[in-house]
Amino acid sequence: MSYLETISIEDTANVAKIEPKGRSRFITLSINGERHEITVKPRKMLIEVIRDTVGLTGTKGSCSSGTCGACTVLLSGRPVLSCITLAVECDGKEIRTVEDLAENGKLSALQEAFLDQGAVQCGFCTPGMLMSATALLERHSKPSLAQIKKGLEGNLCRCTGYNAIVDAVLQVSGQGVTPVMK
Amino acid sequence: MILYDFDYERPNTLQEATALLRQTEGKARLLAGGTDLLPNMRVQVLKPTMLISLGAITPRPPQAELDGSIRIDALTRLADLENSEFVRREIPMLAESAHVVGGNQIRQVATLGGNLCQETRCLYLNQEHDYQFTAPCYKRNGDCCYPFPGNKPGTCWSVYMSDTAPALIALSANVDIIGEAGVRTVPAETLFTGNSLEPLWLARTEIISSVVVPPIPTGFGWGYHKSTIRGGLEFAMANIAVALWLENDRKTCAGARIVVGAVSEGPLRALATEKSLVGQVLNADLLWKAADDASNEINPLPHHGFTRNYLNENIRVYLRRTLITAFERAYGMDA
Repeated sequence: MSYLETISIEDTANVAKIEPKGRSRFITLSINGERHEITVKPRKMLIEVIRDTVGLTGTKGSCSSGTCGACTVLLSGRPVLSCITLAVECDGKEIRTVEDLAENGKLSALQEAFLDQGAVQCGFCTPGMLMSATALLERHSKPSLAQIKKGLEGNLCRCTGYNAIVDAVLQVSGQGVTPVMK
Repeated sequence: MILYDFDYERPNTLQEATALLRQTEGKARLLAGGTDLLPNMRVQVLKPTMLISLGAITPRPPQAELDGSIRIDALTRLADLENSEFVRREIPMLAESAHVVGGNQIRQVATLGGNLCQETRCLYLNQEHDYQFTAPCYKRNGDCCYPFPGNKPGTCWSVYMSDTAPALIALSANVDIIGEAGVRTVPAETLFTGNSLEPLWLARTEIISSVVVPPIPTGFGWGYHKSTIRGGLEFAMANIAVALWLENDRKTCAGARIVVGAVSEGPLRALATEKSLVGQVLNADLLWKAADDASNEINPLPHHGFTRNYLNENIRVYLRRTLITAFERAYGMDA
């Protein structure tokens, strides 16, 4: 009789009560239109899966506590913080990261507007800013200044002072802001 | 990242979730938006052995009941609440209070029920206890309150910072709670224990299923203010919710509710001031005096570097403005 056979079902139930196993789960994610089938521990955050498992390092992680917005990705079209989202919670959902914006190596209009306005300095907040702005522009094609500020309020930037970023969103939505860097 | 393993379940109904909570003897936590729970698990203020995800349950949209009250599913996301035409028209104070919570990304996933059930906060408590702040305080089963060492033994002065709770109390809302014995309905106001170690009268096996806002009285006006430093993406230093309703002459106060949140173990009501306003013909001087009285009546806990004196003054000034706004809305001047 092997060791395993001597353990009754009740015993294993008791063991499970004392020590959580954190059993891995099989999940399916659609990241930038690509289907990924992965096995993850429940404690893994979405950003860890995106950066470490899938290898898309455009999404930046900074505060790990949901206070800076650098890790913003679009989950079913909503901007969410991937550092405080469990990967298992996203099973079967569609995720878009900053790598999804450029097409065939050509930057999107929003990314070009960021360059035109000098809205990128150190660049660490930029992927999050871009995703928040994308979500905003998908909701409102011509957002007002107040809507832009509210839409980007969850993203901190220590370099630009924000004005250039707001201008970039105004420029790309065709609201009378001309490029300053070209 | 979270540094320890936990189990994860994803029930399809709230009943299944309560059954799971019962099985795990209260060592599990419910996961809705996770914007409060997961950071707290990261710094290990909370260490549940299991997370019960409510992600598989779709909330019903806010709807009017037959008696005119409005039922809001506790799983309604704050962004959906602030953007809902129906909520903005019928209960604008709740939409406004949802609008000022955290940042945009937080509101996209955070839920109304989760906002009510959030953990209390303190500069010492919500820190990673690895290289500094290593000694556990009362809330972490320690033996001292390090920010306030003079506190009586076992007294925790962490602050309950929900933005929606004061608005719901001012609106006299009720909450439906699903537990082992079925559903019970309690006023939102009676949910708070006044003890930061266990801020809510909610058993570990109970779940807030919905919030019911009773019909708004005629001649109603509201005011809501959240005092912050930056004006976005932060917790309040104080938040103020005022509900006023007038007699048919549109001058005499028929009732008032003044609630101040984020300065104590739970939202506080200025009961004596509310009482003194009823039956009075309202004017600016009277409302200013009421704001002074209320700020004296409310005893804020010093928190996050703000002294008791400063908070009192802050509440005094903003309560004046909020009361005036509420009166103007009740009178119909804002229309």
